Amino acid sequence: MSSTPLVLALPKGRVLDEAIGVLRSAGLDLTLSQDERALRHAGQHATVLVMRNADVPTYVELGVADAGVVGRDVLLEHGSRLYAPVDLGFAACRLSLIRQEGATGPIRRVASKYPRVTAEYLKRLASPAEVVELAGNVELACLSGLADAVVDVVQTGATLRANGLTEVDVIVESSARLVVNRAALKLKADVLRPLIGALRELSGR
Amino acid sequence: MTGLPEGTRFAPPELAAAREKALAQLRELYSSWGYLPVEVPALEHHDASHPREAQAFKLTDKGSDVLALRSDFTPALAHLVASTYPSVAGGERQALRLRYAGTVWHAHHPELAGTREFTQVGIELVGVSNARADAEIIHLARESVRAVGLAPRIEVGNPAYVKALLDAADVPYEHQLALADAIDRKDRSDVLALIDALGLRGRVADAILQAPDLYGDEGVLDEARRLAPNAAAQSAVDRLEGVLTEFEDASELLLDLGLARRLSYYTGVTFRAFTLDYGQPLLGGGRYDGALLPYAAGFSLGLERLMGAVPQGAGEAGITPQVLTLDDPPARRLRAAGIAVARALASEPSAAEREALAARIPFLLVAGAVRSVGEGGAAGEARRLELQAILSGAQGDEA
Repeated sequence: MSSTPLVLALPKGRVLDEAIGVLRSAGLDLTLSQDERALRHAGQHATVLVMRNADVPTYVELGVADAGVVGRDVLLEHGSRLYAPVDLGFAACRLSLIRQEGATGPIRRVASKYPRVTAEYLKRLASPAEVVELAGNVELACLSGLADAVVDVVQTGATLRANGLTEVDVIVESSARLVVNRAALKLKADVLRPLIGALRELSGR
Repeated sequence: MTGLPEGTRFAPPELAAAREKALAQLRELYSSWGYLPVEVPALEHHDASHPREAQAFKLTDKGSDVLALRSDFTPALAHLVASTYPSVAGGERQALRLRYAGTVWHAHHPELAGTREFTQVGIELVGVSNARADAEIIHLARESVRAVGLAPRIEVGNPAYVKALLDAADVPYEHQLALADAIDRKDRSDVLALIDALGLRGRVADAILQAPDLYGDEGVLDEARRLAPNAAAQSAVDRLEGVLTEFEDASELLLDLGLARRLSYYTGVTFRAFTLDYGQPLLGGGRYDGALLPYAAGFSLGLERLMGAVPQGAGEAGITPQVLTLDDPPARRLRAAGIAVARALASEPSAAEREALAARIPFLLVAGAVRSVGEGGAAGEARRLELQAILSGAQGDEA
């Protein structure tokens, strides 16, 4: 039997190139069309679906995609129990609690694109603060007084410093993960098992 | 209010007929293996310790008692066993084979695309705990998938293995849960981080780190045995091996000793059924000795989910009547032969023919003769002659 074709859910943007690079290095033959607007790239060995990173867990959970690449931060926010067998190492960042430099007052309201992770973090601290979900530029919530603190992604911290903000607490360390549908890992083990092995070798984890 | 409450839906005739047919096939399957039907109330006392309490649909009874709609058959069946067979509930080893089918309600649906009202069908084998009983349940799970025309693949594990590893690691309960969760998600980096944080070392740490990858064919049993740090882990592997030897053909079984969901509930062999090209499990179950009853194992399937995996049109039941009749007495003969015959509501033949055409009914019965309605072709003519033969008593008279 020839190997089973795979369907992969990959996030658009910078992570896409890195994900494709590492999957190819792991021996997966990926064909991508030259058209940058293409959402679906069908190949002989794998079909690549390109989507927003927050949608990757949904596609994999429902089995429309067999596997995908997504940040641990997004996976935690989604709350799904997908298999996450490989830490790919790239796209490293952290989710942190951020405040204005020198702020010492009580935290009554926290804004975030990650309401679930934020709520769980506050619950762990037994904080009564409310969570406000925002779609983007979350730091603005801090600067404008919408919220007393924000929970957001920090990569280098340069944006924070430029805006007079500071990281108060690191909530979660994140990097890109290979995620696999629970049925697919078993039913397409002939392709996925060697792929997982090769990716672990490459990432040295 | 217009529309339906969230998570509820209508089943039009095509869908309802297909479901009814599947349900009948499953009932027949379980019956033929000696499983007896039981019914339990849809209304239950709300119980904060119910395994699905978080999903309970609550109602207020007269007075101020809080009731809950049935959210899962298994606890209700355990209740039935406790009141109907107290000695079995008390630990007597006597096999009870029970089957059930009915609606359950979940106020929340954490699963994507879930409904809040669905049909649960399943069996329980109570009062026995051994590999033969485990295998019987798994076999019937496999046959359930086959009954609706799908090719089954059954993932089988024994969470007692992971439980034994965690006990050997001697970590506090809440860390056990976090580790079991990471193992069940096969999240190697999370498992590694927890092993580091808990300061685990040596044989136990190694076994925990390898546990997520103990999936595949029977080879994983040897690997699991090699890693096992204690007798409990060994016996978990032995039990799984014992279950496999009960199968003439175990090729549809996929082993996974890294299964570690609901560790405090499932105490023995657990399994989930999948089918190719469908990303969701079709059913799940396992052994839960001591959780609700001293010895019990079973599984339940969501009928809507199972039917959702069947390619559309594949299992479509013929729901249109075969014959429209203006003649009542001969129609009885056709019905007795299992043919669906609707009565024409028009009173004369040409109007009845238009009625048959509009309802896509292929044959019309008038004055003892079966006529084809519209273009039936050669196959239609052959069928017409068959029907006519039944009418003329070629298949024998009935009283």
